[in-house]
Amino acid sequence: MPLPDPSTGGPPNHSDSSWYPYFLIAPTMITLTVVALLPFLYMAFISLHDARYGQVGDFVGLQNFTSLLSDARFWNSMWVAFVFVSIAVPIEFMLGLIGALFLSQNIRGRNIIIPFMFIPSMMAPIIVGLVWKMMLAGSWGFVSFNILERFNILTGSSIFASPDLALYGIIFVDIWNWTPFMVLTFYAGMQALPVNPYRAAAVDGANQVQIFFRLTLPMLAPLLAVIGLLRLIDAFKVYDTIYILTNGGPGTSTESPSILGYKYTFDFWDIGQASALAVVIWLLFFVFCNVFYQIAKRRLNLF
Amino acid sequence: MTSLETDITALKSRPKRHDHHGLASTALVIGYVFLILFPVMWMWSLAFKPEDVMFARPTVWFFTPTFEHFQYMLPTGYHEHLLNSLIISTLSTALVVVIGTPAAYAFARFRDMKFRDDLFLFVLATRMAPPVCLIIPYYLIYAKIGLLDTYLGLTIAYLTFNLSFYVWVLSSFCRDLPLELEEAARMDGYSRIGAFSKVLLPLLRPGITATGVLCFIFAWNEFMFAFLLGGQNVKTLPVGIPSLITTQGVRWGEMAIIGMVGTIPVMIVVFFLQRHIVRGLAMGAVKG
Repeated sequence: MPLPDPSTGGPPNHSDSSWYPYFLIAPTMITLTVVALLPFLYMAFISLHDARYGQVGDFVGLQNFTSLLSDARFWNSMWVAFVFVSIAVPIEFMLGLIGALFLSQNIRGRNIIIPFMFIPSMMAPIIVGLVWKMMLAGSWGFVSFNILERFNILTGSSIFASPDLALYGIIFVDIWNWTPFMVLTFYAGMQALPVNPYRAAAVDGANQVQIFFRLTLPMLAPLLAVIGLLRLIDAFKVYDTIYILTNGGPGTSTESPSILGYKYTFDFWDIGQASALAVVIWLLFFVFCNVFYQIAKRRLNLF
Repeated sequence: MTSLETDITALKSRPKRHDHHGLASTALVIGYVFLILFPVMWMWSLAFKPEDVMFARPTVWFFTPTFEHFQYMLPTGYHEHLLNSLIISTLSTALVVVIGTPAAYAFARFRDMKFRDDLFLFVLATRMAPPVCLIIPYYLIYAKIGLLDTYLGLTIAYLTFNLSFYVWVLSSFCRDLPLELEEAARMDGYSRIGAFSKVLLPLLRPGITATGVLCFIFAWNEFMFAFLLGGQNVKTLPVGIPSLITTQGVRWGEMAIIGMVGTIPVMIVVFFLQRHIVRGLAMGAVKG
């Protein structure tokens, strides 16, 4: 049920032609059904069949799912995703908030600076991977030679060749990639906050720290939740960057669910198992999506 | 009074002259921007570096630029990948704008229609689903009906993420449209469709441009579908990158050229659309 909408006062009723909105959304709905829903249902169908070597064979019930859940590689990929998300997203979040506070100061030439900050998050993920493959290449990479070797963290080889450190390398790249976006989003969110509470706080003699924790943060909370969720979803499905940097290696140390799904399909040709994995991921994502939508709609009054 | 003024200006960011605090912050922010852009510039420089400079330890800062990497690239047909990227990104964006604009408007305007929330959530879910979930059925179906390695095949595959993105974000632009305007147009005798196309669509043009250009960039940047559903005929620019990791070694300079060419449109877009990018990347949750 849509809630009453205070911002527009609620649109007037057009009950005279209730088919009209459906007429407008029909092309989109039909297209999305054909290009997304039907392929997904087909994949759910495959996940219940024996489909090794690329041939869809006999109905096997939930066997693909049970063998998926007993596969150590599946749990490893979930762990990789968990570590990746639970380190990268909170750091991006905090740096984003700090950056947004700095950007809210009296910055000269802000309108010239801001576009530059969009570049990392607008670049192709595969090129982001390429940039850092070069920066962190063994021995000659700029960061490898000038920072990692100088401080004796790693000598002679790339961080992506180390089973212990490769995942942290990828986390670092993600932080580089997405922190500027967080800064700019939170900055835009802060600009949209109402002025009156700040006026009242200033009259009451509140200091900057109090203002931030008692006013800005609570007022920003729904927005932070929505952006955090969006980043969580995107971080969970990262593929291109890992593909070019490590392709899941060394061993399985950076094998995210997306990389594993790809390997099930195109390396082992076990399409049934890959489909089962995709169904599991998709169900997980649907929960995330729902939460995103509920917060955005009810707390932020968006959409 | 003064503390009130500074607090509000600091938070609402009205620039004030002769503010040393602001100067320090400016320096910090510029330093940060330099830090995030340095790796990208480093990649660009690799496109012009001779190999001995590229691999030198310690790092060589000044060198005579070489065009040997460009000379290697030219006869190998990489410029065709550029053309493929342009064709597919343009086609899929055009399709998305035509199909998606009415839906975005309807979702924003008819908020009390039945099943609106469920349908809108369905749109969001197709955007959020990881591409690896779709790649398997797409590969099997395309192999069966012969759409592997075709322009049409990739254009259709790109609808999965771009159409839902477009509808979702443009609908946040549509919510900003004044309702009275449509009603006034209806009073003046426009039909529903006439009011939409003659009065509202021109007002929506900035939103359509911004969202459409973002769709173009997403298609331009896309790697996984292009890599797996493309082939010899329709290789796109990003797909060229891993193909330069050869058994004879990695062709860094050539990869840098692709990286450079691939980022140029992104940079242009970023400068023209800066106001709208936040809204796009935040799926409409923030108004830039």
